[in-house]
Amino acid sequence: MKLYKKISFLLFLCFLGSSCEDFVEVEAPDHQLPVAVVFENEETARSAMLGIYYQLFRSAAFSNGHTSSVTALTGLSAGTLTPVDATNTVFTEFLQHEVLPQNPNNLNLWSSAYQTVYMVNSFLEGLEASVAIPEELASQLRGEALFIRGFTYFYLKQLYGKAPLILTSDYRLNASAASTTPEEIHIQILADLQTAENLLSDAYPQQERTTVNRYVVKALLARIALYEQNWETALQYSNEVIAQTALYGLEENVNNVFLANSQEAIWQISPLGGGNSTTNTHEWTIFSSAFPQLRLTEGFENNFETGDLRKEYWIEQHPENNTYRPFKYKAGNTGSAITEYSMVFRLAEQYFIRAEAQAQLGNMAAAIADIDYIRARAGIFLIAQTQPNITVEAFLTLLLEERQRELFAEWGHRWLDLWRTQNAALVFSGSPFWKPTDELYPIPEDERIKNPNLTQNPGY
Amino acid sequence: MKFYYTPTYGCGLLLTILLFFAGQVWSQQEYTLTGNVTDTTGLAIPGVHVQRLGTLTGSTTNFEGDYSIKVRANDSLKFSYLGFKTKIIPVNHQTKINLQLFPNEETLQEVVINAGYYTTTERERTGNIAKVTAKDIELQPVVSPLQALQGRMAGVEVTPGNHLPGAAPTIRIRGQNSLRAEGNYPLYIIDGMPFNSSPIESNSTLGFTGIDPLSTINPANIESIEVLKDADATAIYGSRGANGVILITTKQGSSGETSIQARISTGFSEVPNRIELLNTNDYLKVRQRAFENDGIEPNENNAYDLLVWDQNRETDWQEEFFGGHAEFTQANIFIAGGSPTTRYRINGSYLKQGSVYPGGANYHKATGSAQLNHNSKDDKFSVDMALTYGVDNNHTVGIGSLIPQVYSLAPNAPNIFNEDGSLHWEEWSEVGRENPFQGYLNTSDIKTNNMLANLNLSYRLFEGLKLSSNFGYTHLNSDELTKRPKESYNPEYGEFIDHESAHLQGQRASWIIEPQLSYQKNIGRLRLKALAGTTLQEQLNRQTGVTGTGYATRSMIGNLAAATSLSRGIHQETTYRYMAFFSRLGIDWDKKYFINLTGRRDGSSRFGPNKRFANFGAIGAAWIFSDEKWIAKQLPWLSFGKLRGSYGSTGNDQIGDYGYLDTYEATQGPGGLYPTRLANPSYSWEVNKKLEVAVQLGFLKDHLHLNISYYKNRSSNQLVGYSLPNITGFNSVQANLPATVENSGWEIETNAKIFSTKNWKWQSAFNFTLPKNELLSYPNLKQSSYANTYKVGEPLNIAMLYQYEGIDPETSYYQITDVNEDGRLDYEDRVITKDRNPEFYGGWQNTLQYKNFNLQFLFQFAKKEGEFALFDAGRVGAQRQEDYLGLEGDRFQHISTQLDATRAYNQVTQTALPYTDASYIRLKTLSLRYSLPVTYLQKIGIKNCSVFVHGKNLFTLTQYRGMDPELAIGQGTAFGALRTFTTGIEINF
Repeated sequence: MKLYKKISFLLFLCFLGSSCEDFVEVEAPDHQLPVAVVFENEETARSAMLGIYYQLFRSAAFSNGHTSSVTALTGLSAGTLTPVDATNTVFTEFLQHEVLPQNPNNLNLWSSAYQTVYMVNSFLEGLEASVAIPEELASQLRGEALFIRGFTYFYLKQLYGKAPLILTSDYRLNASAASTTPEEIHIQILADLQTAENLLSDAYPQQERTTVNRYVVKALLARIALYEQNWETALQYSNEVIAQTALYGLEENVNNVFLANSQEAIWQISPLGGGNSTTNTHEWTIFSSAFPQLRLTEGFENNFETGDLRKEYWIEQHPENNTYRPFKYKAGNTGSAITEYSMVFRLAEQYFIRAEAQAQLGNMAAAIADIDYIRARAGIFLIAQTQPNITVEAFLTLLLEERQRELFAEWGHRWLDLWRTQNAALVFSGSPFWKPTDELYPIPEDERIKNPNLTQNPGY
Repeated sequence: MKFYYTPTYGCGLLLTILLFFAGQVWSQQEYTLTGNVTDTTGLAIPGVHVQRLGTLTGSTTNFEGDYSIKVRANDSLKFSYLGFKTKIIPVNHQTKINLQLFPNEETLQEVVINAGYYTTTERERTGNIAKVTAKDIELQPVVSPLQALQGRMAGVEVTPGNHLPGAAPTIRIRGQNSLRAEGNYPLYIIDGMPFNSSPIESNSTLGFTGIDPLSTINPANIESIEVLKDADATAIYGSRGANGVILITTKQGSSGETSIQARISTGFSEVPNRIELLNTNDYLKVRQRAFENDGIEPNENNAYDLLVWDQNRETDWQEEFFGGHAEFTQANIFIAGGSPTTRYRINGSYLKQGSVYPGGANYHKATGSAQLNHNSKDDKFSVDMALTYGVDNNHTVGIGSLIPQVYSLAPNAPNIFNEDGSLHWEEWSEVGRENPFQGYLNTSDIKTNNMLANLNLSYRLFEGLKLSSNFGYTHLNSDELTKRPKESYNPEYGEFIDHESAHLQGQRASWIIEPQLSYQKNIGRLRLKALAGTTLQEQLNRQTGVTGTGYATRSMIGNLAAATSLSRGIHQETTYRYMAFFSRLGIDWDKKYFINLTGRRDGSSRFGPNKRFANFGAIGAAWIFSDEKWIAKQLPWLSFGKLRGSYGSTGNDQIGDYGYLDTYEATQGPGGLYPTRLANPSYSWEVNKKLEVAVQLGFLKDHLHLNISYYKNRSSNQLVGYSLPNITGFNSVQANLPATVENSGWEIETNAKIFSTKNWKWQSAFNFTLPKNELLSYPNLKQSSYANTYKVGEPLNIAMLYQYEGIDPETSYYQITDVNEDGRLDYEDRVITKDRNPEFYGGWQNTLQYKNFNLQFLFQFAKKEGEFALFDAGRVGAQRQEDYLGLEGDRFQHISTQLDATRAYNQVTQTALPYTDASYIRLKTLSLRYSLPVTYLQKIGIKNCSVFVHGKNLFTLTQYRGMDPELAIGQGTAFGALRTFTTGIEINF
């Protein structure tokens, strides 16, 4: 009997023991870290920044070089690229300047850019709230994150004009955010980049050129100044980047340009973000794999002069039909180490920026010298030899062509160049659906349904 | 506690006991009493336990049914034997007692119903609880106990996941309540232990619905399955009762002589149906016509089946792929016995099932269990313990379902396999095609271990008041290894493809403590039953996985030490905690008027800090009007009549863990972190309010029973991904939406003893459900991610379809209406809605007995519509019989190989055109059992022995022309029900 009574007493204790309501509070799971914890320690704060870089490859469609990337879609719009499958309407809409607001790839590009903005905002807020990160590291991380935000908004502004300016992670505010004028976005981009410029140091934080140092910021500032026709500033920033000869130099061999951490690379995105099993860039996948999605438009190969090494090594003829495809990235998914990174900023562009600024400022000799660095590497005649007395206008035309030959299928240079130099009308006038309003892509319909405060761009 | 040890008190007690015993001894002399026990037919019953009441001494009858026992004149004897009603007889100075035991056939009214925390009877229940018992389940050749429920209960719909053993079936109790498909699982309780009902994740071909977590439970070890449906029955399960509760009770030991039962059965399964396909000759005619119509010259690229492939070759691909027989073997053994105070039962089982497919897929399962029950002599204290363990090994082949591919093979297509079983490539490569079965050599091995341990202690403090506690622990481990050898893929891509293995490991562990206090009191004609308790539960889920590549040889695949690279690492660990206070108060007056109040306060860790607790409750009432004299007088033919009704609220917390937390998680790239989600700390439970009214009637001295129930359940506060513009960083956030889903319907159940004579018995039960499901409201549905799935005013399970115009006279292709004339076909043009739910469904169950023969059969039926989108003609591999009809007349579009024709066909499959009647009546089970005459068997020491044959899905009456009307979706090629024949023997020692 005594035993039974003890048991009954125990049972009763069970009763009492179970009346505490905080039992249902659980700690965060192993595989997820609460925001506060992430920024409690240097290591995890660094990991969160690394995560942003990784996601630029893994999930950020606008930057990953795949089928919804700036590279692919503006490449189509610029007429550089053509879909391999002619019945692919999603691509054809871009090619024919008839992008519908329902276009899924346009939505992807837009959404992924804002996902990146969210990551940055969440990161900045976490960093701001933390007291545990030493000042020096906090500054550097803040600089890196601000750059990513400025960089993302640069493309949002260029491609969509009016877009909402999201600077917080609070979805209750953001869900109904209204469109902002390009001018306001521009001011924010400059603010982000100039702060980043001051916060970052000369060295790449993780050695690899997949992270951001001060010169990456300057490279973008140089480009923005150029787009703004602010020649002195463009000259100054590009000068500063080019002057870093210890860090940067033009690769002598065109085959080495797109290799991981090449001398020419200012900023690259690594396929490592796709996980250990991905060893190739998405550019390789969509242009050069066994099932390519995009190729060069017929006749693109004729843009090159004879003997141009870039024609020999950067484009490739399909063995069965006569089409060409971009071949800057050559490494497939072999399972071995990563050898190529996806290029975002490289020194050649800075030479172009400086050349253009010099020419606009009347320094033709310096301008010709800069463009000749690129031509020399490509193994073609130098302007200094063939046309030493070239006029500014002729030079600028030639520069635009040279940029196309050098920077094709990289981050929409051609598309943006044609608009900023007012050449779009000339080049696309033959295209049946072309309208002057095609500079901007439509704000995705889905987004406007969910947030009526977003205004549609003209022409859609 | 000290109080009980005080010497004076102890001495007094001792003295009393001594005096009591002394008195007994002095007044009684022991003598020997003998007798004989027979059944109603006069046959001796051996093994009957004869016990002196209030003591541990007893005896058992021998093979002739005789017994002898030492008794005192004023003792009482208790005669008990499994399957017979226990009888208590006072000795009263007799020296010989012969008696007859009656078989334990409870009248329906007396059937005890398990309501989870308490029990009730069929007569007195105020809620809606359906029950099936062992005899309906145990002989069935099924892997999962849920499959045995098909067709047996009103309001319960079980749809097979697919035809592979171990694939999780879908079970819906009174329709779909939640907008989220994964929010509709009922709560499973096994012997008082909640059991995670969500399917186990898998990479294999079972992946479509996942692996059934119940597959490691032995159906032969189940005593009963109760399904709780209405508010009265489910509200005591509070936040987890919204989708109904399934209570599984395992078998217990019984006192008396040790009994051993062995049962073994063996048989096979086959695919019961085929779709009519064209022979090579007719197929080629259709293809030739296509080119004639198109005016295109066939060449080796577009017409390799006409120009390259053998024109006389003919393969019946259905026969080739699922013409086989899957062997089935099942064995079960148990030993049970015990004394009046301690009972035990030990069970072991083994099941093996092959596959109808080539490639050697198979399924093995072994289970073991032990039950121990003990109660103190004075019945004050009791302990019940159950331990079950199950292991299964599921070996599957291929990648995803191969069935649809079988139907797109031309009858003269080259071989799929070489003679040695490897994939054949040459003839396919010749015409520029891949072998459509590439990947077929991939295999998955899924091993699941499942342990359930359960302990219940209870102590009666004093008359009417009982304190008890339930302790439980479950541990489920699943380990999956998927091997993807290079040989599964075209050797041409050799350099790009590597041997690969995917590893996935899942662990689920949970514990529960449920202390309870129950009280019973009768005051005159008023009876009172009260219960209060609390629950503490914790559930841990862990999932880890990795992919290994770069194995040097095929035989090394899976050995991670031999992989050159590891990637796609998965690691997830979640904790779910749950606590509750529950109570019940049942009151009745004169056993005529019943009121049942149940309530629960629940807390769940799945919600944000301020939203964790909620209250649920229900009221149920019943009135047995047939016990009113004035009614009994008016309606003499009415032997039983009860009106009952219930109303209350239940909840649903089936949502991912931690949704309220703002967190970061690991990126695919090494060492990175990224934000997981938009966090919303303020979402809460889905609430399901249930209403039911019902009448239970008995006629002709309870020979005929009729239950009619009407229910109306409204599920609101729906937990959904609330749609957000992507500028917020994500496209949705978890939130409650004021969307409401209503499930209503009628359920009719009848049970009739059609006749019962000495040699003949026929019992028949019929159930019928008329369900209705409707989405009552959904604010801003058009802007949500469910815009293409749901429609207000329609059921949840619908297809939103385009409008079919007919065949375009210009193009001769199918034409779809562009309703809003914007030049595009999108969801705004999907103006036709098709309900995919059955209009009604039910089952008809029969048990016929003639002497030693017992015949059981069950028909299952449903009225519904289904898809059979199989009228594509002209393309390579389009070989359905319908194609041939397209040659004549204008029922189908112009036969063509053109892209436009394919596009038109693809579009027309999104209209109502493919919908046909898919109603069916299916002979779900048929079993015949013959019990060998006992007299002979007893001489060789066997108590009884029976042989049986069992058939499942023997035939189906339907107009539907696809494989299986139960899974009448898409092209109609899916099937879930295999036809199975088994035969076996059962011996009791």
